[in-house]
Formats: sequence, C-alpha cells, structure tokens
Amino acid sequence: MASVVFDSLLKSFGKTKVLHGISLQITDGEFMVLVGPSGCGKSTLLRMLAGLEEIDAGSIAIDGRVVNDVESKDRDIAMVFQSYALYPHMTVAENMGFSLRLRNEKKKFTEERVANAARILNLQDYLERYPRELSGGQRQRVAMGRAIVRDPKVFLFDEPLSNLDAKLRVAMRAEIKALHQRLKTTTVYVTHDQVEAMTMADRIAVMNDGRIEQLGRPLELYDRPVNLFVAQFIGSPAMNVFEGVLRNGYVQGLNAQWPVPAGHRGSEGQIVKYGIRPEHLEIAAAGIAAEVHVVEPMGAETEFLVKVQEQTFTLVTHGRAANGPGDRIYLAPQAQYAHLFDAASGLRI
Amino acid sequence: MKKFSEEAVLLLMAIPILLWSLIPIYHIFLFSISTKDSAFSGALWPDKPTFRNFETIAQQHHFYLHHFWIQIWNSLWIAVAAGAITLFVASCAAFGISRLKVRGGRTVMNLALFTYFIPAAFLAIPMYKAMGMYGLLNSRMSLVLAMVTLASPYAIWVLKQASDKLPYELDEAARIDGATPLQLFRLVYLPLMVPSMVAIGTYALLLAWNEYLYAYLLLSHERTVTLAVALGHFISADDSPWELLMATGLVYALPPAAIYYAFRRYMVSGLTSGAVKA
Repeated sequence: MASVVFDSLLKSFGKTKVLHGISLQITDGEFMVLVGPSGCGKSTLLRMLAGLEEIDAGSIAIDGRVVNDVESKDRDIAMVFQSYALYPHMTVAENMGFSLRLRNEKKKFTEERVANAARILNLQDYLERYPRELSGGQRQRVAMGRAIVRDPKVFLFDEPLSNLDAKLRVAMRAEIKALHQRLKTTTVYVTHDQVEAMTMADRIAVMNDGRIEQLGRPLELYDRPVNLFVAQFIGSPAMNVFEGVLRNGYVQGLNAQWPVPAGHRGSEGQIVKYGIRPEHLEIAAAGIAAEVHVVEPMGAETEFLVKVQEQTFTLVTHGRAANGPGDRIYLAPQAQYAHLFDAASGLRI
Repeated sequence: MKKFSEEAVLLLMAIPILLWSLIPIYHIFLFSISTKDSAFSGALWPDKPTFRNFETIAQQHHFYLHHFWIQIWNSLWIAVAAGAITLFVASCAAFGISRLKVRGGRTVMNLALFTYFIPAAFLAIPMYKAMGMYGLLNSRMSLVLAMVTLASPYAIWVLKQASDKLPYELDEAARIDGATPLQLFRLVYLPLMVPSMVAIGTYALLLAWNEYLYAYLLLSHERTVTLAVALGHFISADDSPWELLMATGLVYALPPAAIYYAFRRYMVSGLTSGAVKA
C-alpha cells in the first residue's frame, strides 16, 4: 500500500519526445487508470514506474521515496503484462512463487502464499500445470497470481485484457476490480479501452500525445470533459460533434438551431464545436430534421445512425425502434447535457 | 493423379540418394565383419562373417591399435570438453548481446560472422605457433582450445538468433520479480535455451570428434593423438589392414550416432509455447 507521485516527468526516445512533463499523484489504495490512444505515452509512463525505462528528467516517488535510481526489483511493485510473460518452463505454482524463491523465502511460506493467491483466483486445480496447458483467461489469472503473491506496494497492469476475447474480458474486468476491492493495493492500470477505464477506475488520467488531457473520476470526465479530445475519447458510442456559431442563445449549425446549456462561457458570434452524447438526443415530434440511415437494435436499447445535412449523428434510445432506414425524424437535443468547445483551442467553454 | 506422379518423381529421386548414402556404410560394415583374406572378394556378404576384428581392436592386438583405448578416450575427452566450453562461451556471449544488450554487441556479432571468411586450414599454422608458445603442444587442451575457437563464432551466432526469439517480457517480468542478471541467466534463460544449446553442443562436440587437421598438427605422440589421427596412420603402410581400419572406423562412428539418437527429442523447439500470447 503506497502512494505514487509523478513529478514533471520527461521522456524521449531518440529525437521523439514521448512524455512532456507528466505530473500525477496517485493516493494510497487508489485504482488509477491511464487511458489514451496508442502512442500517447501511457505504457511508457507505466514502464518508467516499473523501472523498465530510464527517466530523462523529473522524478517518481513510491510511498514518499524517490525511486529514479532504484532498480525494478527494489521498488516493491508487481506488474501484469499484456502478453502474460509467464515462465514457460515452470508450473503455475513455480511461476507464482518465483519472486519469493528469488528472495530465498522459506518453502513453507512460499507454498502458503501461492496457495492463498490460487484460492483468490480459483487456480487451485491448475497449480501443477504448465502455462502452455492453460487457456488465455487462466494464464492471465496466473500472471495476476504472480503479482498477488508478492504482496507489493503497487500493482501495475499493462493492457492486461487486450489479448482476451470479448466475453472473457468483461469477466476478468470484474475480477480485477473485485480483487482491488479486496486487497486495496494501489493500482496503476494502462488501457486504450475507455470502457475498461470507465468501469474499473477510481480516477482516470486521459492521455494524449505525451500529456495528461484530463484527470478525474470516470463520471466527471463523462459529464464535464475539459476539451474536445476527452469529450470524444470517453463515452461509447462517441459524442456527436459539429461546428457552429453561437448566436442568440443557440448554436447555428447544419441549418438548424441547437439549444445550449445554461452557464456556458461562450460569447456571441464565437465559432464553437457543439457536442452532444448519443443518449442526450431524443426523437421528438418536432425539432431538427434528420434522416434515419442505419438502425442497430440491441435489445434493451436501439442505436440509430442518422444524418442531419451531411453530418452523421449517433443516437441511442431505450426500447425498440419505431423507425426504419430512410424515415424522416426530428431530433430534440437535451440542452442541459450539451457541451460547447472553442473551435480553435478545443477547450470547454 | 498429379499427386501420384509428384510422389513418384520424389521417390525416384530418393532411391539413388538413399543408396548413395547407405552403400558406403554397408561397405564399411562388410569389411569390418570379413577376414583379411575375404575382405576384397567383392561378395555382398562374407562367406564366414566374423567379429574377430572387433576383438582385435578391443584387445589392442595389432601394431596400429596398441593405443586404441587411450586414443578413443582422447577423442571423447576433447570432444566433450570442446562442446562444454563452446556452450559456456557462446551462451554467455549470446545472453550478453541479446538479452543484456551490452554495448558493442553488434560489433562482436559482425566479427563472428567475419571469421567465416577465414578458412580453418589458414589458421592452422598460426594456431600451431601459438600453442607452441604457450607450451600446450601435445596436450589435449591445445586441441580443445583450437576447437572452441573454431566453433564459437557459429555457436554465438546461432544462440544469439535463438535468444532473440525469446520474448523480452520474460526478462522484464523476472527483473521485476527480483532476479539479478545471473539469476535471470540461470533460472529463466538457460532452461528456455535448452533445445538450441543441445543442438549447438552437439555441433561443437562432433566438430571436435571429427577433427583431423588440427589434431594431426597439435598432437603428435601416439598416446596423445585422437582416434581420427590414429585411423589415418592405418594407410601409411603398403598393405594396410583394411578390415581393421573399417572396423575401427565403425566403432568411431558409433558415438556420434548415439548422440544424435539420444538428443533428437531436444532438437525440436516448442519449449517456449505458452510464454506469451502468440
């Protein structure tokens, strides 16, 4: 259990700058998710915390101790890799107990710890098997077991679920979250999947191009994205965004008038990006005319792809669809949930 | 029909190749179970097959065979030592270059490749001179060192290539688990390299076992030469005892065959399956 503090971290690979001064404080016991598109520097940041990458400038502190020059093995961390990275010549039990073996712990102690981790992860029946004899999900659990056995100060996860199929991913997501609630170990979790980030995190750091765009609780990011990047990255299906001009308390765009939220900081005549999430667009008797393009029934809800002028919008309604492709419908945006961003800077206004 | 004709062509090609390889071996075998008089009779099977030749060898009852046991022991000693030292040198080098990414690793690899341009025979005299300076001539160690020198570049090259295929995450996982480089080498790297190591060890061992030129140059006493050199002595006389030469040759060929047979299961890779998602 420990806090983690990144302070003004810089990192370059050759001439390419990958991190431009990252500062981030992770509190004791927190589940922090670093999320962003590939190449945003999130994995590099995690690997620097793990001691697998050098730090060019800035500092990393674990539990108050600066670890810049501390080797991985002395940082008291455990990492779960995307590729599992299990030792193929060792059984599940040997894999999980390897770190204790290196520490010359007593055999009995190691066995107890391994048995305990195996019980938590439902791996008791597989302890004598080799990694090649396990399924993807089981291997992933062994990798987690290896981390649990160490009882580290910080758990690091590097896209641990990307190699699993969709169904297993959802199940493992819940398992990891349950594990965290049980062990309450500080966790840093890297993913490019915003759904994973939303569902698992205490707080999310949305990263882009070597910077943290926004840091906050999942629903904060969802409800009040600070800029266009976060707005479009968080949420599935993604937010609908188009350009317009702020005039007379409306945004004029796509040949229609779009209601704006109260308390926005835009000025009359400003060119803005108008953002509205798919579930905040309603089908109404009157409003903004649109043509239904594709209907995707999903049972509990229905997803529509509709066109306003040439712009495609996604909207989600509860229940079943009454309209089909080619139908003319009217959209009513819920003004209080709309977002306005400055067109030039992309910042929330 | 097309498949049948393809197989027929392959078969027609395979038969001569098979005969080409097997007939000399059969010839050796035939000689080794013939008496001196019937060896050159040209028959496909001797009138009176005999194991006398092998008895003569085992009891060292011939002028050329007086030191048979010590000579085969020399061959074995040198081959095993050369194999072991080559493996040690090459696995350390490959680990350093491929996994620890030491500075200058690329240069070492290029130099290793460069040694292929120099024929072994070209180095024989300088090597003789060097061994002489160190006072190693006529000792088994001289041939071992020479063989390690010749086998190492190829061994390093092959093991480095094999090391590169091991997932790097394993090293990172081990480092986080608390492994020092030496523990990483011993507990993670070596076990995963076993198939390649067996292949390379066998290569170096057989290279030394079969070596003639260097053995002939560096070792000159009857009690220090290897069996390969001793076999060469057989044909220095006008009436060579061919049946004994062939029988000794057959004995000499058995250990490599046994080694191949014993280690064949290691030659297949696949030990790394399950380490990381493919």
